[in-house]
Formats: sequence, C-alpha cells, structure tokens
Amino acid sequence: MARGRLSLAMSILQRIQSWAPVPVYPVIGKGGLRAIERLRLDPALTLVSSARHASIMLVCGDIRDGDRPALRQLHDQLPHPRATLWCSSPPLCDAADPVEERGDDATVALRQLDADLRAGTRTTEADWLPDQPPNAWMGKGDHGQGGKGMMGGVPYGRPMAMTDEDLRDGLDLDAMTISVGPFAPMLPPGLSLELVLQGDVIQTARILTSAYQEEMPARETSLWQASRLLELVGLAGLARRCRSVVQMTDVPTDSLYAAARRAGAFFAVPPGLGQIGASDVRTRLREVLSGSPSSMPDSAPLLIDMMRGLEWQEAMLVVASLSPRLLETIAPVTPTGDDRAAVTKKPVPHQNHMGHH
Amino acid sequence: MNDLGSIVVTLVIAAGLGLALVGGLRPIPIRWPQRRPFLGGGSQTTHAWQRFHLRYYPMTLLFIAFEMEMMFMYPWAVVYVEEGVKALGEMAMFLSILSVGIVYAWREGVFRWQ
Repeated sequence: MARGRLSLAMSILQRIQSWAPVPVYPVIGKGGLRAIERLRLDPALTLVSSARHASIMLVCGDIRDGDRPALRQLHDQLPHPRATLWCSSPPLCDAADPVEERGDDATVALRQLDADLRAGTRTTEADWLPDQPPNAWMGKGDHGQGGKGMMGGVPYGRPMAMTDEDLRDGLDLDAMTISVGPFAPMLPPGLSLELVLQGDVIQTARILTSAYQEEMPARETSLWQASRLLELVGLAGLARRCRSVVQMTDVPTDSLYAAARRAGAFFAVPPGLGQIGASDVRTRLREVLSGSPSSMPDSAPLLIDMMRGLEWQEAMLVVASLSPRLLETIAPVTPTGDDRAAVTKKPVPHQNHMGHH
Repeated sequence: MNDLGSIVVTLVIAAGLGLALVGGLRPIPIRWPQRRPFLGGGSQTTHAWQRFHLRYYPMTLLFIAFEMEMMFMYPWAVVYVEEGVKALGEMAMFLSILSVGIVYAWREGVFRWQ
C-alpha cells in the first residue's frame, strides 16, 4: 500500500519536473550565433551561463580545431547525468553515441534528450579528459603540499601566484593569471583572453583566440549587441525584449530605447568608460538601442591596451560594446613574443581608482 | 536522571540518523576535470590561494562603527523619554563628534570606490 503511494507521488513529481525548462549550456561556434539567440526566447529552455548549471551542452556552429580542448573541458564540467547535442556541428571523436540535429529548431531534440536522461533510457556521458590533476603533486614535499617551501610546489596541481606590482599604487601582492573563453557567456563567441589580475583589476591582457566572425544585417548585430550589454548591467528582461524585437523587422526600436532609459540602463554604465574618440560605452549603448549611426572614429586603440587597469565588470562592458567588425581589427591574436608586461609596469591613474589607499 | 536519559536518547537518534545518511547516500566521486573552475573553456595558470588588497575595507570599518553607534541610540531612546532635552543635547554632542569623523574620512578619500 505504502509502496504504491510512494510510486504515485514519484510519478507526479516526475511529471511536474518534465514541465520545467531544460537547462542548456550553449557553445557557440562559427555560424551558430543566430540559432542560439533565437533559442534564448524559447520558454521550454533555459540557456544558463555556467556549465555547472546545465544538464545538456548544445554545440552550435563550426568549432575551430584550436578550441576543441576548451570544448572538452566544458563538457566535463557539466554535472551528471549529462548529454551533448551537436547542432550543425560535426561531433568530436571523443563523443560516444553522439546526438546530431540538422534542422533549425533544436528545442524538440533538447527536450527529448532531457526526458531520456531523466527516465534513465540514456546513460550519462563519461569524461572526455583524463582524471588527472594539472601537475603531479600528491605526496610531494614535507607536508604533502606538492613541493618545497612556502611558495614552492604545486598544491592541487597548480603553482602559487607570484608577487607583482599593482597598477594603481605599486603594492606588491599576488597576481593571478587566468584564461577566459572561448565559450564564456560574457564574451563574444570565440574570443578568449589571458588576464593577469590583482583582485578584480586587469593588470595585463592578451588575446589567445579571436572572436568568430559572422555576416549579419546591421540591425540584427546592433540589437544582439544591445541585448548582451543590457544583460551585463543586470537588465535581463530588457535584453529579452531586445531579442524578441530582432525577429520583427518592421518594429522601430524607439520604445526599446525609452524603456532602457526609464530602467536606468545608461546610469549603470560609468561615464567615459572605454573611450574611443568621442564615443564611450554609454554612447555606444545608446546608438545600438536607438539604431542611430555609430560615432566611432576610424582608428581605435588595441583592445588589450583598453582593458589595462579596468575592473572585470568594466572590461566586460567595454568588450560587449564593440561591434564584431571593430573587434576583428582591434582584437587580433596577441603574438607570443609580444611582452606587454614591461609597458604595463608604469602606474596608470584610473578614473575610479584614484584614492589614497 | 530523567533529563540525562532524554539527552542520551536524542544523541543516539541523531547519531543513528547521521550514520544512516552517510551510509545510505553514496558520495559522488569528484574527478579532476570537475574540479577546474568554470571560465568558459579557459583555465587558471596559478593557484587561487593568493593575497590581494581588499580595497574597500576602510569603508566597511566605518560602516560597522556607525552601525554600533545606532545600537547606542536604542537605550538612549528609553532614557530620552525620562530626561527630555538634556538627553537630546547629549546625543547631539555625540553625533556631532562622530560627524567630524565622517568629514575626516571623506577628506581622506575613504568613500571613493576603488
């Protein structure tokens, strides 16, 4: 009797669970942006911004050979049970029993995959990377910390950060080196950066891979750019509205601009941020929302020089405010021999960092 | 003795439940690829154990100081009912001394976000 009630309760819970939107992590390759941006409007899916929150990885568009290690890493970061859907993208050889979708609408395939995973009719995907730390460390050193001395060794497989002068006041604290992208949700698809950080201030930046280029009508490009900027300032509802306007080519964007102004979107962007000539991030947000012509000058400094001294959130706003065409010219891959560290040692007074401390 | 008995029974039940949970729930083995931080396909070169300057700390200390000052105002509100203007004058003196502190902090740039 009790067992029957339990299974009834479980089946009701499973039915309720099946109504929930499917958490999907999008990996956008060349030619995949449009399809993903459309899927963001689908109420049956949630396109999450971290692989840890997804049950399915959706790979859409062509992935460069050099980006495949990043793809493998992302795949292994998805919690179990997990699956991958390859949409207009050839599956990697690591994928056993790959699921492909060639049509325009991946929603049906994604929902089916999710239902199969939950029902247990499809087994979770195994790791594509070996189960090894970045460097061998276990048992090495006096305390098993991975090496000798305070700063020596590789605890948990990674070396300790070394000291470096802070750009703001020369304070000698630890500088952390990370690489972000090429499939980070806050960066344009394909763009990956190597950053040296002091806290959340960028000391130096290098471009490891450039953004994927896509041919799209100007109106579409601006509106998707606007939606990314609005999402970064925390106005997800307005960003969604931006995306829905993309589909309706006859609708003017005036009301969108007015709504953004009412919501205080322009106040969320610091004035003078990412200044190129007379244009800053605020101006560029205004232009992409209102559809007015760009006031950018013909030449612009390199992105890596613009990012120096900015806080993380400011840097992400600057990157999102640049059009894909401009990004192509000012964000080329930084050559390995190009050492900008010597240049960046000079303290730069930053607009927001001019305090005494 | 009765109290001691109930404590022992509670402890035994708690320990039993704890052990049942530990034994019943199989921990999911965390593999090395899962331990990496999420950086959109990127990785970190150095370890996250590192020292950096918490730049907003003077602002935080000032906030805590003024929050403590608010705590003095609750008992003062009770005394104020009995004492009247005298208590008001004393609190005004206390607040004005603290205000000088704010002005000094302002001058030193504590309120600038860095």
